[in-house]
Amino acid sequence: MKRVNRSLKEFGTALPFVLPGLLLVSVFILYPMLFTIRISLSDYKIVTGDIDFIGLLNFKNVFASGSKFWFALRNNVLYAIVTIPFIIFGGMLFAYLVNNLKHGQSLFRVGFYLPVITSWVIVALVFQYMFNNSNRGLINYLLVDVFKVMDDYVPWLLREWSGNAAIWIMGIWKNVGWAMLIFLAGLQGISKDLYEAAALDGAGIFKRFIHITMPSLRPVTYYVMVNMIIGSFNVFIQVLMLTSGNPNGRTSTLQYLLYDRAFNQYNFGEASAIGLISAVIILVVTLTLNHRMNRNADDTEETA
Amino acid sequence: MKKIRFLAVLSALVLALGCMWGCGNGKGGSSAPASNSEANKDGEPKNSSASEVKITFWHTYGDAEEKAFLEEVLPLWEAAHPEIKVEAVRQDGSQYHEMIVTSFGTGMSPDVARVDITNVAAYASIGGLAALSDYPDFATVSADCLEGPLSTNLYKGKYYGLPLDTNCKAAVMNMNVMKDLGLNEAPKTMEEFIAAAEKRGSYSLNVSGVGDWDMYPYFWLFGGVLTDDGFTKATGYLDSAASVNAIKKMIELHDKKVFTIRDIDGSVDAWDGINSEYAMFFEGPWYFGSYEDTKQKGIEAANIPTFNGRSASVVGGEDIVVFSNSKNRDAAYEFAKFMTTPEAQLALLKSGQLPILKSLTENEAIKSNPVWSVYMSQMNSAMARIPSPNNSQIQEIWSETITNIFLNGADVETELHNAAALIDAQLK
Repeated sequence: MKRVNRSLKEFGTALPFVLPGLLLVSVFILYPMLFTIRISLSDYKIVTGDIDFIGLLNFKNVFASGSKFWFALRNNVLYAIVTIPFIIFGGMLFAYLVNNLKHGQSLFRVGFYLPVITSWVIVALVFQYMFNNSNRGLINYLLVDVFKVMDDYVPWLLREWSGNAAIWIMGIWKNVGWAMLIFLAGLQGISKDLYEAAALDGAGIFKRFIHITMPSLRPVTYYVMVNMIIGSFNVFIQVLMLTSGNPNGRTSTLQYLLYDRAFNQYNFGEASAIGLISAVIILVVTLTLNHRMNRNADDTEETA
Repeated sequence: MKKIRFLAVLSALVLALGCMWGCGNGKGGSSAPASNSEANKDGEPKNSSASEVKITFWHTYGDAEEKAFLEEVLPLWEAAHPEIKVEAVRQDGSQYHEMIVTSFGTGMSPDVARVDITNVAAYASIGGLAALSDYPDFATVSADCLEGPLSTNLYKGKYYGLPLDTNCKAAVMNMNVMKDLGLNEAPKTMEEFIAAAEKRGSYSLNVSGVGDWDMYPYFWLFGGVLTDDGFTKATGYLDSAASVNAIKKMIELHDKKVFTIRDIDGSVDAWDGINSEYAMFFEGPWYFGSYEDTKQKGIEAANIPTFNGRSASVVGGEDIVVFSNSKNRDAAYEFAKFMTTPEAQLALLKSGQLPILKSLTENEAIKSNPVWSVYMSQMNSAMARIPSPNNSQIQEIWSETITNIFLNGADVETELHNAAALIDAQLK
């Protein structure tokens, strides 16, 4: 009884602190989330506000909607597979190099971080210019007119693979700086003694990176990876600004498809269904990773 | 300890209250119709005799059009209707359609708006617009409107708007490049132009994309047909021999390097390339924003050259619609009607908005202008796109078909046959 009383008392003390956040979360996150689930199972008429329950029809339509959904899903997965290794290894490498600099550390730190704080839209406009058609685009101009590597101009953003590649490159360029900053923080936590001991044993900079830095950064790497995987399912601005999903939805992603279904076709049910499907995918992937990571951590502890 | 707890509870409560007040306040402040109705309630005792109402008008006019609207049209309105105050809001064109769709859901639609002709049927189909043909005087008001633009407001037997301005594509020609091709004046026929351009070996005719607005004029010009006259069926029309031949003609010109599609070939954009390399492209009257500039560069407006004796073009333009959520629907309709009067139409013509009234087609201001006169005469051979609430889906089917044909070299007959079946389903 005493214990119940005490926990009630503790709850009473905590409640005022939690309440504002709880209210905000309920209004801005929980309610919209539940509403999305409801719309995904309904025929939602936006003007009249009528929400008629239609079961899983929206999901059925999404999965059956030609190849659009599957191409979008494929592109999200490809984005993750292609960009994440570059972001993780690039971020780790740059962090290691910057950390070992004797002078100008902050200059490089700011330099690598600048892409992260630059507006997506502005970066997309620059990419648009770089990958532009004909000799009006920088890359075409360099490859055809200056270095004469190719005979014909390539409409980069209008083809399936070069369009996707542009989306990937932009993602990598934009995120490496963020990963670097997280790894830099992780590097501060590695004891100097380890490096000194390794140096005494004759390990060079490369060996020290492989055998000390990389294993020590494993938890940080996991954190970066989970963030990037979630990010991979939120790719939108690149697609909207660079390719609009052309040609024929081959460069589309789930978020872009969602936008297209909602605002071009007024199909809010299917759009919500796509949103929910993405959410479930992210949840499953994160939980799986979490599980594996915990098991790995246990294994290393045991062997140690 | 007690003191600290008290302070914590107090500060948390203040924060919570602050948030709630903030949210509540935000809602009231940003909700346009709500604040309008509040204003009306407040204003009622004062203005009971004049009963002043305020309506919101959304548009995407450019600088010149907005100037003409604010300085000439609006004063005319205010003089005629002092009791109805119009608040004109200029919206960003690139996100306009999204804003309107969102406003349906949030109940924050304007009372009246200028919208693209291709969206009226879709907005009407989701119940967003008021049927203006329910007003007893609609028949009289619309009697003087040009048939083509008026028809873009039709959905299931009712009119959901009035035409506001119209346009179509006409030929934009660089006369210097034409001279290089051996044509000393604007070619009257496509046959003449093709014969001259074939010898050149580089693209002379450019179209931007594969969408309906870009491609239909070429498709129609070379003899293609989309649907029956009532827009009920595409099978038997889009996949007819005439349509297949029209696409094959375009492929032939593409192979001969006469005709290029920017979004397929990655060629230079028309607005850029017309200054140097292209002889011709089709565009709306807005290309000639500054007629003096274009004339200096040797660029002129001309009717689209005929093929097999026939010219073709696509109708564009905007309608003015009243929203079903409007609390002042009658006042909004009054304003929509006013915007189609000859006075308002002539004032907007000064900024290049072509009028939609039959009585103005022969107006001296139009006939004496070298650009407007071309566009008005091109209107005679301009056709409307399929008016359908599923316009966006039809556009997608069309674009994908053309992309498959030109980019992936797909078989024309099969592609058009499949597209026709898909469009049939959208027209049901």
